[in-house]
Amino acid sequence: MRTLFALAVVSLVCATMTVRAHHAFAAEFDAKKPVKLEGTVTKVEWINPHAWIHIDVKQANGTTEQWMIEGGTPNTLFRRGVTKNSLPAGTAIVVDGYQAKDGTLKANGRDITLPDGRKLFIGSTGTGAPGDPQEPPAK
Amino acid sequence: MHHRLGYVSLTVAGVSLAVATAIAQAPAPRSVPRTPWGDPDLQGLWTNATVTPFERPANLSGKAVLTQEEAAEFERQTNQARDADNRGGGTEADLGRAYNQFWFERGTKVVGTRRTSLVTDPPDGRVPALTPAAQSRADARAEARRRSPADGPEDRSLVERCILWPTAGPPMVPGAYNNNYQILQAPGHVAILIEMIHDVRIIPLDGRPHAPQAIRQWMGDSRGRWDGNTLIVTTTNFTDKTIFRGSSANLKIVERFTRVDPDTLDYQFSIDDPESFTRSWTAAVPMTKTDGPIFEYACHEGNYGMTNLLKGARAEDK
Repeated sequence: MRTLFALAVVSLVCATMTVRAHHAFAAEFDAKKPVKLEGTVTKVEWINPHAWIHIDVKQANGTTEQWMIEGGTPNTLFRRGVTKNSLPAGTAIVVDGYQAKDGTLKANGRDITLPDGRKLFIGSTGTGAPGDPQEPPAK
Repeated sequence: MHHRLGYVSLTVAGVSLAVATAIAQAPAPRSVPRTPWGDPDLQGLWTNATVTPFERPANLSGKAVLTQEEAAEFERQTNQARDADNRGGGTEADLGRAYNQFWFERGTKVVGTRRTSLVTDPPDGRVPALTPAAQSRADARAEARRRSPADGPEDRSLVERCILWPTAGPPMVPGAYNNNYQILQAPGHVAILIEMIHDVRIIPLDGRPHAPQAIRQWMGDSRGRWDGNTLIVTTTNFTDKTIFRGSSANLKIVERFTRVDPDTLDYQFSIDDPESFTRSWTAAVPMTKTDGPIFEYACHEGNYGMTNLLKGARAEDK
């Protein structure tokens, strides 16, 4: 019975995994243009509906590209104690995402990590932070 | 794909009936906290974040309520599958998940009743079938979404335009993040601040009639009254662009708010729209006290996404 139930749940969650983000990411970014960017933060716009992280990305030829990376709603992070000061200018990050359809230097921050591979911010899965799925039940 | 639970179908009728009865008789405590002017006090910050699905999944057909053990397993598996850090399924799926898990706030627990759906009536936990007229409207919208026109902002959804969020209500239902509400009361009025997306509902309680039929509003026109300890809010006068699961402008919603303990608000709503649904239906979405805080979701102020997607469409035009 236990196995049957587990299988049932798996088939449920596969069917309902569609994310309701603020807009269709597929309309803004191009799934055929994956990018991996290693850069340093120059500023963060903590704005709704989506935060934007600006990074400088050094090129092999010595020039620097300035990219804008789209994240999610800042409200959620604020509730977890992330503030404007949590991602200061100069922080090195790695962005794995997709470039904007208009070809400009914008991408969604599909996966943002620190250079050593650690997840950015405290809310990521497995950290035990508030709102974390691994968090023990309250009360 | 669907693995049915043979053992639960035997208990379907009994469980569904028992649950329907329990829901209908929402517990009404004798003494509830009251405002200085004597109304039941519903004030505070509340959240409805939950992993309980809106409709009962087909593979849990016949099972209205999970056992504690099943609920824990359901939570574990749902949280795992929803984890946006998962990068599998190809680039389209990867892009569709938008960004890492740390931006999401969906809740991690099933509702306290351990029901398998937020929909409580019909007893199968599913939204009733649409009428042919409503189905035809839904098909036209699906076709428009498939074409995804982007000649100007008016082509885009109310969500992308920061006008109306489909979970904001009425009725208020949980989404992927910002599932927070603040209820404020004054003599003769209740106000509900909805984090997603920056709306405040101001509900008169003084018995005044609804606005004239010609006045149509994104979130309708709400009027409230007290029935014992329960706040009953009736909302009509929606626009034909306000669509809740296929509803029409003639949608009528009745919401019921009962504070059943200091930390729990029993929130139920009934959907009555014969033009769109083959029968009326009801859902229960309990809210729990939260510390918040709620921040202003000033959606339109920073909506770079709209510019970017229109530019993307122009680039594709070339």
